[in-house]
Amino acid sequence: MANGWSVWIGLLVIAVFSVVSWFAAPKGENQTVWRSSLILAACACYLLWLITFLAQWHPLIVPRRSDLRPEIINHERSL
Amino acid sequence: MAPHKDTLFRSADMSLTQLYIANEIGREVVSALGELGCMDFRDLNSETSAFQRTFTQEIRRLDNVERQFRFFHMHMEKSSIPARSIYDFDENISATSKTEIDELVDRSQALEGRISSLNESYETLKKREVELTEWRWVLKEAGSFFDRARGQTEEIRRSIDEDDAPLLRDVEHSGPNGETQGERSFSVMNIGFVAGVIPRERMAAFERILWRTLRGNLYMNQSEIPEPIINPETNEGINKNVFIIFAHGKEIIAKIRKISESLGADLYSVDENSELRRDQIHEVNTRLGDLANVLRNTKQTLDAELTAIGRSLAAWMVIIKKEKAVYESLNKFSYDQARKTLIAEAWCPTNSLALVKSTLQDVNDRAGLSVPTIVNQIKTTKTPPTYVKTNKFTLGFQTIIDAYGTAKYTEINPGLPTVVTFPFLFAVMFGDFGHGIIMTLAALGMIYFEKPLSRGKLDELFSMAFFGRYIMLMMGVFSIYTGAIYCDVFSKPLNIFPSMWEWPEDFKAGDPVAAKRVEGYTYPFGMDWNWHDTENDLLFSNSYKMKLSILFGWAHMTYSLCLSYINARHFKTPIDIWGNFIPGMIFFQSIFGYLVFAIVYKWAVDWYSIGKSPPGLLNMLIYMFLSPGTIEEQLYPGQAPVQVILLLLAVVQVPIMLFLKPFYLRWEHNKARAMGYRGIGESTRVSALDEDDDEGQTPNGRESFGDDEEGVAMITEGITEGEHEEFEFSEIMIHQVIHTIEFCLACVSHTASYLRLWALSLAHQRLSIVLWDMTISVGFSQGGGAVGVIGIVILFYLWFVLTVFVLCIMEGTSAMLHSLRLHWVEAMSKHFLGDGVAFQPFSFKVLLEEEPVDL
Repeated sequence: MANGWSVWIGLLVIAVFSVVSWFAAPKGENQTVWRSSLILAACACYLLWLITFLAQWHPLIVPRRSDLRPEIINHERSL
Repeated sequence: MAPHKDTLFRSADMSLTQLYIANEIGREVVSALGELGCMDFRDLNSETSAFQRTFTQEIRRLDNVERQFRFFHMHMEKSSIPARSIYDFDENISATSKTEIDELVDRSQALEGRISSLNESYETLKKREVELTEWRWVLKEAGSFFDRARGQTEEIRRSIDEDDAPLLRDVEHSGPNGETQGERSFSVMNIGFVAGVIPRERMAAFERILWRTLRGNLYMNQSEIPEPIINPETNEGINKNVFIIFAHGKEIIAKIRKISESLGADLYSVDENSELRRDQIHEVNTRLGDLANVLRNTKQTLDAELTAIGRSLAAWMVIIKKEKAVYESLNKFSYDQARKTLIAEAWCPTNSLALVKSTLQDVNDRAGLSVPTIVNQIKTTKTPPTYVKTNKFTLGFQTIIDAYGTAKYTEINPGLPTVVTFPFLFAVMFGDFGHGIIMTLAALGMIYFEKPLSRGKLDELFSMAFFGRYIMLMMGVFSIYTGAIYCDVFSKPLNIFPSMWEWPEDFKAGDPVAAKRVEGYTYPFGMDWNWHDTENDLLFSNSYKMKLSILFGWAHMTYSLCLSYINARHFKTPIDIWGNFIPGMIFFQSIFGYLVFAIVYKWAVDWYSIGKSPPGLLNMLIYMFLSPGTIEEQLYPGQAPVQVILLLLAVVQVPIMLFLKPFYLRWEHNKARAMGYRGIGESTRVSALDEDDDEGQTPNGRESFGDDEEGVAMITEGITEGEHEEFEFSEIMIHQVIHTIEFCLACVSHTASYLRLWALSLAHQRLSIVLWDMTISVGFSQGGGAVGVIGIVILFYLWFVLTVFVLCIMEGTSAMLHSLRLHWVEAMSKHFLGDGVAFQPFSFKVLLEEEPVDL
């Protein structure tokens, strides 16, 4: 579902969103605030998502725990 | 530059305007401008002291009226008559004409006289009533003393006459004896008495003093008055005691009188004859009745007056406050005796000039004056004040910036990006879905109840939160987002998507198990929830959040550095681009941009599948400086030359930053001198170019004052004074050296400073896990049964209260302060010039916000 292409798709989505918010921002004296805030917020959110995605793309360590019981894992899997 | 709209991006264009106002309509004009609230009047009489100014008399008169209003208000509070709240009036309360003000002044004068005379008589009457009440108590209590004492005259006498009488004598013993001698009068025995009332707390002292001074030669009786006596002056009830002292001899009686008076007792005459006493009581009662009538009437009249005043007091206060402000502004104007005109100078946003002109025209038309008010724009080299127009939403963010410093005139206002970056960086530290929701709900609540809350009195902490309610809203919303990314809801995982990790199927309970990756699938949104509660989740999340902090720091600082480019473009100082921005940017990017590249590159490579061990980035960066050209673990082919080139590039930027700008400025200065430019014009031009943190003048500052009329009478005094500095090469050089060192060191320390994002977010996450484990999770492990259920309910409340107070309020405040620091220090140091003067318009709205009429 999610692989390396997600990064570029996400970027495209943000780019489109930014362009749309530039033109669709309400006219009037608050236009600048709308434009700046929407685009900046979109970029910041994308950046955070991107960093999190990349960090897990090729993880160097795997989760380990020793408090698991097989029944629970099998039960969860059957759900 | 073409005129543009005033936005948050940079401060509004300002014009220095000069107004010629006919003396007759001075008040009306200033009053209308105060309603507009866009003129910042310059003080043209700064040498004149406050007492010598033209309108001092008027201000004094209005001060007096304000005092009278306070007097009314005090009396209203004393008799607890509510004033009509200021919010019940129209938004716009103003006096239209001078006669209205005069009427108000006269009326207030008359009312003051009336109120104070009513009040005086009321107080006199009240005092009289208190005296009578006390007298009545004395008569009543003394009566019973007498009745009792009469029975004991013999005993009293004996105790006074014989010093060797036993101090304690059985009362019952003398009882039947007293009855027979009861009719003997005190006067016959030459026993006098003093009766009166004294505050209860003085009673003990009173007794002691009497005992000591009279050596016990007295017989004293006292009783408590059950109800407190109200002092009419302070309106406070005092508990008092009635006392009656019998003693032998005139001198002793006189002494007792003196002592009791000095201790604040009130003495009343009581007749020992019970008949007469009954008459006295009767008389006192009638007098009290009459007095009560008169008092009621007086009180009614007074209350009626005060209620009538209370109905419009708030409006009057506003009117007088405005009027006073008008005269204070008029005092800043210079008065032309010969032409009977007032001349004013004010800074005004250029975009509001048309509005000002039309307003002045209106005032003129209304007054029916043939002489128009003239509005001139003056060319000036003075630095205009910085005016950033805000609204309800942006005000809080702008205040964050203004708290650090006022932006230079028309420089980029960092308040605009702060709207997003401040709450976002906060949320990176505060990231928790649940806490974000709490914060958002709190902010929404404050926004929904905005009106009632803004009118009520709030305590300090809450009023701060209320002021920043829109900041809080943004912080909450972004925290929800970052919480979703971190996969934390009150420290619990948020499993929306299927995990990218699978646990093996066959293992024994308690065995250490490692999860397997689902092939070709990466968790699509945020952290995988399977990392929760694992043994090595800290290892993973620390590496992730540390890199996240570096990346965000890099992005934030690069963004801020770019703003300095736009500033240099705007102020038309290309040397700032070539000598500061470009070398600075190359320096920053070749070290930290490269680090960011390395982080992302390392993430993008699947190290295990290509059979290599992932290189450590920290060592890479350290060895890049310590031994350039040697690579211990290769990140990518050709890494060594790239790093050497980048390092050289960074090093080369240092001398460029150091010398390019100062030498360019000197070359330009010398060129200008060689061409023969001297004097004031020349100095203006040069200093305009050496624009930097210590220089106020900008070239376009003059250009923005368009359509100036010819032959403008310049009465502005000292318009060019102290604005320009001589060209001093050494000063510029020193300044540039400091700037360069600061910038290079700051690149390192500021990047490290962004690691606080990691530290605080880690602390927040751990703290919420600990809180959960120590409260609710304890309850769940207790098992079922009534005890378990009750325990869970109690522990839930404990958990919730602690979540709100510790995790949301305390942690939130600390995250907010850290975000504040990241903006003030790390981001704003990259571009903010901040040597502006704040625009302080003469505005009734601002005036009433600063000194609200709190009725």
